[in-house]
Amino acid sequence: MKQKNGFKMLDTGVTYVLLIAVAFIFFFPCLWIILASLSKSGSIYSFDGFFPRSYSLATFKKLFTDTTMYNYPKWFLNTLMVATGSCILGTFLTILTAYTMSRFEFKARKPMMKITMVLGMFPSFMGMTAVYLLMTQFGLINHLWGLILIYAAGAPMGYLTQKGFFDTIPKAIDEAAKIDGATNLQIFTKINLPLAKPMIVYTALTSFTWPWSDFILPKLLLKEKNLYTVAVGLMSLDETEFARFAAGSVFIALPIVVLYFCLVRNMVNGIAAGAVKG
Amino acid sequence: MKKKWIAAVLAATVALTATACGGADTDTTDNTAKKGGTGAAVFNGQLEENVTIRVLENDTAIEKGYFKELIDAFNEEYKDKGIQAVDANMDQYLDLANDGPYGYGPDVLYQANDIIMKYADGKHILPLPAEEFDCFEQIPDTAWNAFHATVDGTEYTCGIPVNVQAPMLYYRKDLLPADWESAWDEDKDSVPDMIQSWSKMYDYSVARHEANKKQYGYMKSLNDMYFSSGFLFSYGGYIFGNNNTDPSEIGFAAGEAEKGAQVLSQLASAMNEDCIDDTITTNAYSKLADGSYFATISTPDVYSTFLDELTKAYEEQEGLSEWDAAKKAEENLVMTALPQLPSSGDLTDKNAEQIVSKCMGGVNGYAVSSYTKAPNACLEFVKFATSYDMVKRRAHMLGIAPARGDVAKEVGGTSEEIFKNLDAGNIILMPSISAIAQIWTPGQTFFIDLAQDVYRADNEKKYKDLASMKAGLEDMCKQINEAITTLQ
Amino acid sequence: MKQTVQTFMKTATVPVKMSLLLMGAGHFRYGSISKGLLYLFVELSMIYYLVQRGFNDIRGFFTLGTQRADAWAGIEGDNSVVMMLMGIFAFIVIAVFAFFYVQNIKGAYAMQKRAENNLPQKTLRQDLADLLDQKFYVLVLALPLIGVCVFNVLPIIFMILIAFTNYGGNIVPPELVDWVGVDNFRKLMVLSKFGPTFLKILGWNLLWALLSTTINYFAGLGLALLLNKECVKGKAIWRAFPILAYAIPGFITLLAFKFMFSYGGPINQMIISNGGTPFGFLGIDAKWSARLIGLLVNCWISVPSIMLLATGHLSNRDMSLYEAAKIDGAGRFAQFRKLTVPFMLFATMPVLLGQFIGNFNNFGIFYFLRGGMYMDGYFLASDTDLLINWLYNLSIDNNYYCIGAAISLVIFLITSVISLTVYVKSPSYREEDTFQ
Repeated sequence: MKQKNGFKMLDTGVTYVLLIAVAFIFFFPCLWIILASLSKSGSIYSFDGFFPRSYSLATFKKLFTDTTMYNYPKWFLNTLMVATGSCILGTFLTILTAYTMSRFEFKARKPMMKITMVLGMFPSFMGMTAVYLLMTQFGLINHLWGLILIYAAGAPMGYLTQKGFFDTIPKAIDEAAKIDGATNLQIFTKINLPLAKPMIVYTALTSFTWPWSDFILPKLLLKEKNLYTVAVGLMSLDETEFARFAAGSVFIALPIVVLYFCLVRNMVNGIAAGAVKG
Repeated sequence: MKKKWIAAVLAATVALTATACGGADTDTTDNTAKKGGTGAAVFNGQLEENVTIRVLENDTAIEKGYFKELIDAFNEEYKDKGIQAVDANMDQYLDLANDGPYGYGPDVLYQANDIIMKYADGKHILPLPAEEFDCFEQIPDTAWNAFHATVDGTEYTCGIPVNVQAPMLYYRKDLLPADWESAWDEDKDSVPDMIQSWSKMYDYSVARHEANKKQYGYMKSLNDMYFSSGFLFSYGGYIFGNNNTDPSEIGFAAGEAEKGAQVLSQLASAMNEDCIDDTITTNAYSKLADGSYFATISTPDVYSTFLDELTKAYEEQEGLSEWDAAKKAEENLVMTALPQLPSSGDLTDKNAEQIVSKCMGGVNGYAVSSYTKAPNACLEFVKFATSYDMVKRRAHMLGIAPARGDVAKEVGGTSEEIFKNLDAGNIILMPSISAIAQIWTPGQTFFIDLAQDVYRADNEKKYKDLASMKAGLEDMCKQINEAITTLQ
Repeated sequence: MKQTVQTFMKTATVPVKMSLLLMGAGHFRYGSISKGLLYLFVELSMIYYLVQRGFNDIRGFFTLGTQRADAWAGIEGDNSVVMMLMGIFAFIVIAVFAFFYVQNIKGAYAMQKRAENNLPQKTLRQDLADLLDQKFYVLVLALPLIGVCVFNVLPIIFMILIAFTNYGGNIVPPELVDWVGVDNFRKLMVLSKFGPTFLKILGWNLLWALLSTTINYFAGLGLALLLNKECVKGKAIWRAFPILAYAIPGFITLLAFKFMFSYGGPINQMIISNGGTPFGFLGIDAKWSARLIGLLVNCWISVPSIMLLATGHLSNRDMSLYEAAKIDGAGRFAQFRKLTVPFMLFATMPVLLGQFIGNFNNFGIFYFLRGGMYMDGYFLASDTDLLINWLYNLSIDNNYYCIGAAISLVIFLITSVISLTVYVKSPSYREEDTFQ
């Protein structure tokens, strides 16, 4: 018994050492960017090793007040809008597609699975030309929702991940409900959707995050500077504006981290396991 | 993850256009017969009314407030005629060929000559009636030629030159040795020798680093093709054959270009490993300000950035008030023409004859988009923006080197020097043929390799003598040639 | 097939046959007015579209334009690429119409049969109710399918077709583009320079994809398991660190890491202050150190999202199996090997494959970390470049879209055969109900 306790202590100890190591590995570069954004001199080359010599909040103040050249607050709102829009639409479409592909038997299913698999492999930067031309024909250049449309339309392409999840939810639950007279729509909304919470959270997070880091599409579709998203705006910064670049990068992370903390509760739930047993 | 790489693609396009500077053929100066070419038929002199023209300016002009002054002045003057100029509010490196045809481009644009001339091929910009401009006589032919295009046998002018971009030497007067007048001024012309000769600059760099290991003399990343290729040109190298118009002939290894490579290699040996990647290019602003570096080269348009950094440094280090610091910085930061080179290509050769440094350069100017709804109003704007007063104002506020002779003379100093250099053919303007896109990466690779070689162990060195450098340059030309021809 | 057509011709009533010309005619005859109107509407709008631009678009697809634009002379002219794109678009519209057309005939014929057998006809309301139940998948998939077709499939078809034109170089609008057949592929075959570089890069590319996928996947899974342990308190906080890394956009991370490992970066500064000589981690001579850094940085970027995903999946495990295993005396490692790994492999096989493809086509890593160099022995590529970087150098840098499209088609064929074989053989494709 004593030995077992000792083992448990050791196990916990090792676990925490590992956790601290992992936290350090992931946090250190982030910390570096955060501190760089707080650098007083504004130049990355006046650092002592990794960190600045003196700190100030001036860069952040500049980021939000000095908007003649680089209107960061506007970019931030634009991105927030695009991210929210494509997150809601994209998640909705992806989950629906994944669920259907996992639960329904129809003729076109397997071919469709193979086709989407293959389509995803195309090195598609030349497809970008086509997307741009298409948007000029639809008159959707310089519209934020044109961007949302493309992000949302492309999202179901990545349904395989979510389908893998639905495949692991036992079908027995569906059949029981069907016997009780539930329609397919009801089975989906009342039973599978609640079970899929972790997956929905994952999908929402990824589709929310993507517009924050993508800049090729917004750059292609948004020509006016005050329509820029944060990523495009940051890339247009002058090379000497390092501190501002870092400060802007730090702020990108903020909404994503906030969203994570709002959703984290839904990340883990063991309902599925309980449901089968019951 | 899948999509992460896509993000990079546009950065590339942007970076590419950013590096590509310079333009057209360098004809001999021939002031007797100036040709302006005819303008497009749409320029009928009838000013469109109640129109708004979107003007694309470069970021520095917007940042420093010059652009606002320009459009305010223009709008004030043309208020009665119902013409209003506004900031196009677009990326300064946008691609008109991509956006214009669909109606998303600017009406008037200010860009480098190679970019503007690229548009001329597809007729995305209008040919301008150059002779109608009051700057016509004032701008040297070399600058005009940068904007000449021959279409179906007729010659056209597609842009109006405004300023000349060429590498300049930046140094700090207060970092000169205290005894420079006795020890570093052999010819007694009251100009320090290291500013006049690369050999002396090399000597001083070595001496300064000896005295204090944290300090250096001349510092510049070698990997920047734009700056490094000037050394090759000085010894007979060139870009393309037939006055930079024939891409089947690549001349970076021509003449005694290898001597230029040797000079670069010697200069690199007095720097540190930072010259291998682009570290120095980005840190020069702060390192010059904190006194680590004595000198560097860059283009005139970043003068104000250097000045701001130095002002900040004086404020912090010496506790000066902002005004005093700015004054001191202005006094001590000097931008001047490049030093001369030894004809032997050996910086340690004290008796070599000195030759003039050549460099790569470009001309920035205005052009009018073919897709504008108000071409005559646009033309009027360009005339206004290239007038004597506006260009003078521009030179004062932005520190640029004007292409107009009268303004250059008025502003004097460096602007005049650049103007003279351009006139004398020492500034090689980049060709505006599309093959130019292929020279950058092979060139950059060679210069990185050259810089790295200085810091390789002796037994691993690749470039030990002139012959191996020549071979390296020839290799680079071969690569460029392959890049151009293979896919055609 | 032939037989069904014959019996159809023999047995179908006139209104049903009329549906061949006038969509919805059969539906009107058998009392389904609203559905008939819908079909009629579809047909009318199709005719409107064809007259308005459809016919022109299709013709444009074949000619790719006849009038060169000249902005100086005020000639508007044809834009070949737009014509091609709208041509493809027209074909998609026609395909969608054909689907409705067949549905219309089938529906009408079925109604006739029902009428002959004195069965009651389905009302529109019933059809709609069906959509929510039996045919739920049709309703659900319609929207994503249209979106994917227009914004993903269309551009890809466009790109494939570009490989058969001379688009690129000097031939970009306003110049007119032409169809050139397989010329581009012939060019690729003839060029001896491509072969050696292609093989060298392909080798490294496969190694890279395998290594980075394996490392990322197991690191992410391991991290998820570690955070899932009972003894870990404050899971949300611990998990937040990788999330923070995840929240910073990839290009910023890459630029930051590039700077860290550069000559003037903090790592070299530390080496210098400890009396060492600076090391070019990503320099021209540093083939393997650059590759290693690429792997690690990619790991740093990808692990958080895999961890998130794995966490979601882990919560979906059937814990009763573990209880049983524990009773049977299975150790923790045995549990991991016999239960966790098979389950995770099953659930995340598509993800694994997606990761593999994503890494195979990972453009950003080496573009940002070590761009702008062509190495000896490589044709317009560096020794860390992946195929996609090479493709970029060849096509976008030089504007040779058609050649680029041809190469990417070749690469695509290779990769899709590999991954499709793996996918079709994988348990998550063949036995989708293993864990149900």
